[in-house]
Amino acid sequence: MVGERQNVWFLRLLKTPLYLLALSVMVPFYWMFTGAFKSVPELKQNPPTFYIHDFTLGNFYNSKLGVSKDILDQGEGLFQKFPNGLGFFGYMLNSLLITASVTTCCLLIASLVSYVLVKRPFPGSTVLFTLLLASMMIPWEVTLIPNFLMVRDLGWINTYSALTIPLMAKAFVVFYFRQAILAIPTDLVDSARIDGANDLRIWWQIVTPLLRPAMAAIAIPVALGVWGDLLWAILVVNDESHSTLPMILAQLAANLNYSPSGAGVVMAASLIVSVPAVVFFALFQRQFVQGLSAGATKG
Amino acid sequence: MIHKTTLQQTRTAPLGMSAARPQPRRGVRFFMQKYGPPMGLVLPFVVLFVLFVLWPVLRSLYLSFTDYTGIKAPNLVGATNYVNMLHDPRFYKALRNSLTYMFFTSLISTSVGLLLALSFGGQKLAHQLMRAAFFLPLVAGGVGIIGVWKWIASSEEFGLFNTVRKMFGAESIRFFGDPHYALPLLIVIGVWSVLGYNMVIFVAGLRSIAPEIYEAAAIDGAGPSARFWKITLPLLRPTILYVLVTGMIGTFQEFFTPYVLFSDTNNVGGILDSGLTLTVYLYDVGFRHFEMGAASAIAWLLFTVIFILTLINLRIGRINDLD
Repeated sequence: MVGERQNVWFLRLLKTPLYLLALSVMVPFYWMFTGAFKSVPELKQNPPTFYIHDFTLGNFYNSKLGVSKDILDQGEGLFQKFPNGLGFFGYMLNSLLITASVTTCCLLIASLVSYVLVKRPFPGSTVLFTLLLASMMIPWEVTLIPNFLMVRDLGWINTYSALTIPLMAKAFVVFYFRQAILAIPTDLVDSARIDGANDLRIWWQIVTPLLRPAMAAIAIPVALGVWGDLLWAILVVNDESHSTLPMILAQLAANLNYSPSGAGVVMAASLIVSVPAVVFFALFQRQFVQGLSAGATKG
Repeated sequence: MIHKTTLQQTRTAPLGMSAARPQPRRGVRFFMQKYGPPMGLVLPFVVLFVLFVLWPVLRSLYLSFTDYTGIKAPNLVGATNYVNMLHDPRFYKALRNSLTYMFFTSLISTSVGLLLALSFGGQKLAHQLMRAAFFLPLVAGGVGIIGVWKWIASSEEFGLFNTVRKMFGAESIRFFGDPHYALPLLIVIGVWSVLGYNMVIFVAGLRSIAPEIYEAAAIDGAGPSARFWKITLPLLRPTILYVLVTGMIGTFQEFFTPYVLFSDTNNVGGILDSGLTLTVYLYDVGFRHFEMGAASAIAWLLFTVIFILTLINLRIGRINDLD
C-alpha cells in the first residue's frame, strides 16, 4: 500500500531517535519487572542495579516475616498484605466481577435502546435520541457530586450496587450500536415479526448475533474504563471488603516510601495486574484497536 | 431483573399481528399494543440514564448556586460559589496547571504520534512490534504503573531518573520536593500513556487515504516530499484535529495520574500545589472539605471549557457521521 509508506527525508532521519523512544517507553515496564524480583537491600542500593542480582520472591511472599530480626525482612509481601480484607487476589476478583457485570449489563441495555431507536421508533424516541446526543457532551465531573449524593441517599455506600449500577447507562455505546443496527435490513426484522416473533425475541435472536463484532469492540473501552476507575470507587467505598484493585494499588503507591518492602510490593502488584492485561490484549488485538478508535474512524 | 421487566411488558401488551385481526385504531389500548413493547425495552436504560445522568446534571447546576455541605439542607446563595472560586488563588493554580498539562501533553503526543504512524504504519514485523511497544502503556498501564513511575522519579539516590542524571554529571533532583518538576513529570507520563493510542488512530487515518491518489501523483511526477506535503498532510488534517482535540478534552480531565503521584495524607496537590489539577482540586473541595456547592461550581467551569472543545470537535465533522 502506497499510503502506508511515507518516504520523506526527515522521517528517515528520525528513524533512529524513534527506535530509542520506543526503548525508553519500555523502561517503566522493565523497571517494574526487575524490581518485582529484587530483594529489599537491592532495591535501596545506590546506584541501582540494572538487572536482578539477588533474585527473590519476597516481594510476593516474605517467608522471613516475623522470623528474622533484620529490619529489612520486616516488610510483608504482597500476598501477606490486607489480612483483614480480601487479600490481593480477592481484590483482583472483586474488580474483575465489577468490570464483567457492568460491561455485560451496559452492552445489553444499550443494544436494546439502539434496536428500538432504529427499528421500532415510538412517539418521543427522537427526544430520547436528542437527550442521549446532548449527554455525551457532559463531562463526568458534572454528575460526580449528585451521583455520590444519590448513592449515599439510597444507602448504597460500601455496596457492589454503588460500584456497578450508576456506571451502566452509557450513551456512546448506544451510538456505536446504532451504526451497526442501521446496517441490518429492515426486511429481516419485519419478516421475523410476521412469523410471530415479539420484539424481545427479535432483539435476542436476530439483532444481538449480528451485533457481536460491534459488542466485542465497544466492550473494550467500557471495560477498561471500569477496570481502571479510581475516583468513583474511593468516593463510594471505604471498607476493605468492597475495595477495588485501583484503590489497593493507589494505597500501595502512597506507602511506597514508608515501608522497607514498599517499592518491591508496588512493582510486584503492578506486574501481576499487567500480565493478564497483556495476554488479553494479545488475544483481542483487533477488537482493542477497533474499540478504542470507535470515535475516530467513520463507521 | 432487567429481563423480567421487559418480559412482563411484552406479555401484558403482546404485539398483535395487526394485518390479520381488526384492531382499534385509536385509544390507549391501541397505543400500548403498538408502542408498549418498544417502550418497555428501553425502560432499563432510560431509568438508569435519568437517575444517573440527566437528573444529576440538573441537580449539579442547582447545587452550584447553594452552600450545600452534604449534611444540612442546601440554601441558595446566588453566584457566591462562582465569585469565591474566581478569588481563590488555588483555583488559578489548578487551572494553570491543567491548561499547561493539557497544552503540552496533547501537542507533543499528537505530533510525535503522527511521526510514529508515518514511520511505522506498515505491515512489517518491525513496524508491528513498534506499534505494540507504544500501545503497551494503554494495555498494562493504570494506577499500578503510576506507582512504578513514582519509584523511578524517587528523590532518593536509587531513583532511576537521578541515577541517569548522575551518569551525565548532572545534579540529582528532588522531583517531589521541588515545585518546578511536578508538571514536567506529569507531562512525560501523560505523553507516555497516550502516544500509542494516537499512533494507532493515525495509522488508521493513513490507511484510509486511497492509494490511487498517490499513484496518480507519482505519474504526474510528484516526488516523495511533494506527495507528503500535498496529499498526506491535507488529507490527514481531520484526523490530526480529532486526535488533538479529544486529547485536550481527555488531558484536561486527568485525575488518577496526578492524584496517585502527588496526593498525601494532608495534601492532594504535591508541594505548593505544584501538581494540583482541576479535577483533583474539585475532589479536594467537594470530598475532603465537603463544600459540595463550591465543587459543583468548579464542575460547571470544567464543563464550559470542555463544551467549547467539544463544539470544535463536532465542527471538525463528526456530526456528519451520525446519520
